[in-house]
Amino acid sequence: MKVIEAEDLSKNFRVKRKEKGMRGSIRSIFHPQTEEICAVDSVSFGVEEGEILAFIGPNGAGKSTTIKMLTGILYPDSGHVEVLGIDPVRKRRQLAYQIGTVFGQKEQLWTHLTPYDNFRFFGAIYDLDNDAAESRIAELAEIFELGAFINTPVRNLSLGQRIRCEIVASLIHRPKVLFLDEPTIGLDPVVKENIRVLIKQMNRELHTTIFLTSHDIGDIEKLCKRIVIVNAGQIVLDDSMEHLKYHYLNKKIVEVKLQEEALWPPMEGITILKKKGGNIKFEVDTAILKINDVLRGINAEHIQDINISNIPLENIIMEIYRTEGRADRL
Amino acid sequence: MRKYVVIYRAVFIENLQYTANIMMGFITYLILSVVFLNLWGYMYDAPGELIAGYTKEQMIWYVMITEMIWFGARSSTVREQVAADIRGGNIAYLINKPYRYPFYILAKYTGEWNIQLSMYAGLTAVVGCMMVGALPNFHWSTLAAVVPCIVLGMTIHAVFKICISMLSFWIEDAKPFQWLYDKLILVVGTIFPVEIFPAAVQPVLKLTPIYTVCYGPAKLIVDFSVEKYLEILLAQVLYLAFGSVILLWIYERGGRKLYVNGG
Repeated sequence: MKVIEAEDLSKNFRVKRKEKGMRGSIRSIFHPQTEEICAVDSVSFGVEEGEILAFIGPNGAGKSTTIKMLTGILYPDSGHVEVLGIDPVRKRRQLAYQIGTVFGQKEQLWTHLTPYDNFRFFGAIYDLDNDAAESRIAELAEIFELGAFINTPVRNLSLGQRIRCEIVASLIHRPKVLFLDEPTIGLDPVVKENIRVLIKQMNRELHTTIFLTSHDIGDIEKLCKRIVIVNAGQIVLDDSMEHLKYHYLNKKIVEVKLQEEALWPPMEGITILKKKGGNIKFEVDTAILKINDVLRGINAEHIQDINISNIPLENIIMEIYRTEGRADRL
Repeated sequence: MRKYVVIYRAVFIENLQYTANIMMGFITYLILSVVFLNLWGYMYDAPGELIAGYTKEQMIWYVMITEMIWFGARSSTVREQVAADIRGGNIAYLINKPYRYPFYILAKYTGEWNIQLSMYAGLTAVVGCMMVGALPNFHWSTLAAVVPCIVLGMTIHAVFKICISMLSFWIEDAKPFQWLYDKLILVVGTIFPVEIFPAAVQPVLKLTPIYTVCYGPAKLIVDFSVEKYLEILLAQVLYLAFGSVILLWIYERGGRKLYVNGG
């Protein structure tokens, strides 16, 4: 069952343009100039219930604009969108009861209140009665391990603690869909990993559909089974993570340290990336040549050290950005 | 409704921490009170003289009460926050909750002015009694009757301030309009009662929201009459209904024009 359906969704913004300097400023008073920017251009996609979807793209690609249209904040210029069968444009407040949003760069918590008071506050905003709010807070406090700081004012919390509280505040009303816009931005690797574990646990135990945007490849790789890449307002790739890896990870990077005198046999499917003495770094196209054959081609006695790795997902995504979209926006 | 009470309560608790900041405003209030005490002292030649229907004591008390309302109603939430939210795009993160943003702001503002006005009311009572003496013909029952007028006046004030701030959906800066509205409130109805102005202008002034914000409640406290009370209460109810319709209309229309920086 689809929980999000977007069809030919488009949004344009009118942006002021001004020539440089004083002359330009004066001229703009009498002849104001504007330019229409297409932020989202005929985007169509659907999200299944319980799915964790990565919606990624370079800055200015249209990710946040799309999220804001899905949550009813921005009005699309054209196209149709439904979230949980609700039109966000017409019934934003009705939809608000069914969805949660976390914007990593914006805080929704009241900083002078403690997380507990904030959760009670949001419970009331979402019309939960006292008993329901209490039990929900207890449940989420346990999952997100908030016990140590639930009664400390938010302004005194660390960034990692605050983000955990932000997520809990967004979950207080049991949303069916959670929109996470860069939830791990600015966090250290340990806290990032904790947040990822909690998001995964939440998806598994509470069956929450998660719509994630992030520039952190780790978030995408560790959380998502499906990836949608947008660039210049258009979807340039919509595929499962498995397929993405299968199609784009057919190349391996081999770093090998050989004895100085060792001969390097020429083989089809190998591209030398770097060579210095006995240290060689090369790329193997596994569609042409299997790794086994590569290893057979090198005399094992000559190998001092070897490392075989996949091309980082980050490189693959950058390559997709470059080839499928406008590289100048990177 | 409960959610707005919760918002009000959260802001009320927050503002209790800033009572010292509110007290800093007492200095300006005291300076203005002394200025007007002396000004009206020179204007009134003989005891019992009436100017525009006010005795000297009534006139000074009137100015002190309108000043109290003026200072109590000061709020960056309705004056600056709404416009800043719209211009900076922060409104996007506030309107995706199951409440109406204008009512959210109104609940926040009520939490603010409740504390401010209470503190200024205490100051006004003390300073007024010390400098002018007890208000002639004052009854505590009058105060109880006027409290709803004060609440309505403050709410009308907020509704119009939010309306002006929401012009930021269309224009770069709504501050000049805020300035104009503030100065009108200050001159027409705060410093001088409506009766001071020429008879030809008075009906026009009575058609403005200014009449219901400062003048109405202050006039009733210094010179209560049932007819005036009903007249002001009716004007306030009509203004509140009219202002609320305008506010929601601007919000709905402006929301469609919302542009959020950075998406």
